[in-house]
Amino acid sequence: MVSLDPQVWIAAFLTIAATSYAFRDNRVFKLAENTFIGVAAGHQIVMGVKNIRDYGWSHLAQGEMIYIVVFLLGVLLYARYSKEYYWLYRYPIAFLVGNGVGISIRAGIHSDFIVQIAQTATPLVASDAMGTINNIITFVGVITALSHFIFTYESVHQGTLGWGPKIGRWMILLALGASFGNTVMTRFGMYQGRVVFLLREWLQII
Amino acid sequence: MSIWEKLTSIPREVIMGLVVIAILIPALNPLGLPLMVGSMSENWYDTVDSLPAGSIVLFDIGYGSGGYPSLGPGNIAAFHQMFAKNLRIVMMATALEGSMMYPLIMAGVKPESNYGAVYGEDYIFLGYIAGGQTAMAGVLGDLKSLVSSDYNGNPISGYSIMDNVGGADDIDLVAYMTTSGDTAEGWVYQAYSQYNRALLGGCLSMMTTSIKPYYDSGQLLGIMDGIKGAADLEFLTGHPGDAIVSSDILSFTQTLVLIFILVGNVAFWMQKGGGK
Repeated sequence: MVSLDPQVWIAAFLTIAATSYAFRDNRVFKLAENTFIGVAAGHQIVMGVKNIRDYGWSHLAQGEMIYIVVFLLGVLLYARYSKEYYWLYRYPIAFLVGNGVGISIRAGIHSDFIVQIAQTATPLVASDAMGTINNIITFVGVITALSHFIFTYESVHQGTLGWGPKIGRWMILLALGASFGNTVMTRFGMYQGRVVFLLREWLQII
Repeated sequence: MSIWEKLTSIPREVIMGLVVIAILIPALNPLGLPLMVGSMSENWYDTVDSLPAGSIVLFDIGYGSGGYPSLGPGNIAAFHQMFAKNLRIVMMATALEGSMMYPLIMAGVKPESNYGAVYGEDYIFLGYIAGGQTAMAGVLGDLKSLVSSDYNGNPISGYSIMDNVGGADDIDLVAYMTTSGDTAEGWVYQAYSQYNRALLGGCLSMMTTSIKPYYDSGQLLGIMDGIKGAADLEFLTGHPGDAIVSSDILSFTQTLVLIFILVGNVAFWMQKGGGK
């Protein structure tokens, strides 16, 4: 029994139209593509207005006058469209960049450097054999991959020492291979999710 | 044209046709291939399981329609476990389309009918909060100064779940599911490094290699690894859904990809060996 819900039919049509690109570019795909862009742009505008209302205007309406500065900075972002007042655009951008860096830099250094280095510098011998093997692979991988990017001293890449960067290159390629495998799995996961939708919700045969 | 040359120039329509067939066979006739639950999913499950009833979970729906087939089933399974444990969930979205995913997820969980949960008492949805990592810092720092109303526009002061939630100190667990690398990292930076909160991360499989170092170093307590992780969670929570159906298909299609890679490589080397 095929679904009688028009929403399901629209979703099914757009799913088939969007995935038809895998076979060849065609007009039905273009229709789905343009529909998606239009809907996404419309949704973005609505959400933008909602954000201004909920996180800006509501505070201002409650008498929090500091939000005048926020709105002023927001308006100045549009100065980029004026040749004469383009320079004013730099103030909100400077604020955004400064704010973003300030918020993330301390935590970023902690998460990406201090904790990672501490984790890598653990004893090689773990409580179980697999843990020990993992620790050795991590240790060798980190050292050799880092040595691969030492370009200042040519001798690092020559002779016996040259094995370090070579092994590092293989480690990087292994990581890229794992990443590629995961990418394939993600794409299939997305596609099959829509196929399951077609079979279950639309055609109702599973 | 030799057989090897033909094998290295198969039209993409043929390959896609084979992929579609490989998806349809296990979808129409489930094979029941064994599911091996990964340790990352197990740790996600155990972390949630260890929380006492009434604990507050901050959950970020950080994906849109593109990510829903991969993350939606896992999100539904995760909420099943949280509602069954009587945890209280404060939901938000760092992705613009996240607020559109919320009703889809809730339709799958049905917290009112399945668990007797009440909106505003046991869970709340704050909607999309712009700003990426700035929004995360704001929510964890002083939630009520940033957010004054829920997704429906009602003041959050009117909901009992928000009575004792002001920031990170009142949150027992932060969890997210996202298709964005910046969001995945952002929560680690803010929830773990800045506020030392217990943190769980869900992401697309293609992002797992990037965020796994955070798991290995103990910053993430568990990872829901795309559709595979979703199938694990569905199995662990006892709520089989789309992901378990997909795991059969995934095993079948991944085998096909392996065959493609093998055939492509053998054909390439045979051509090379033949001096062509």
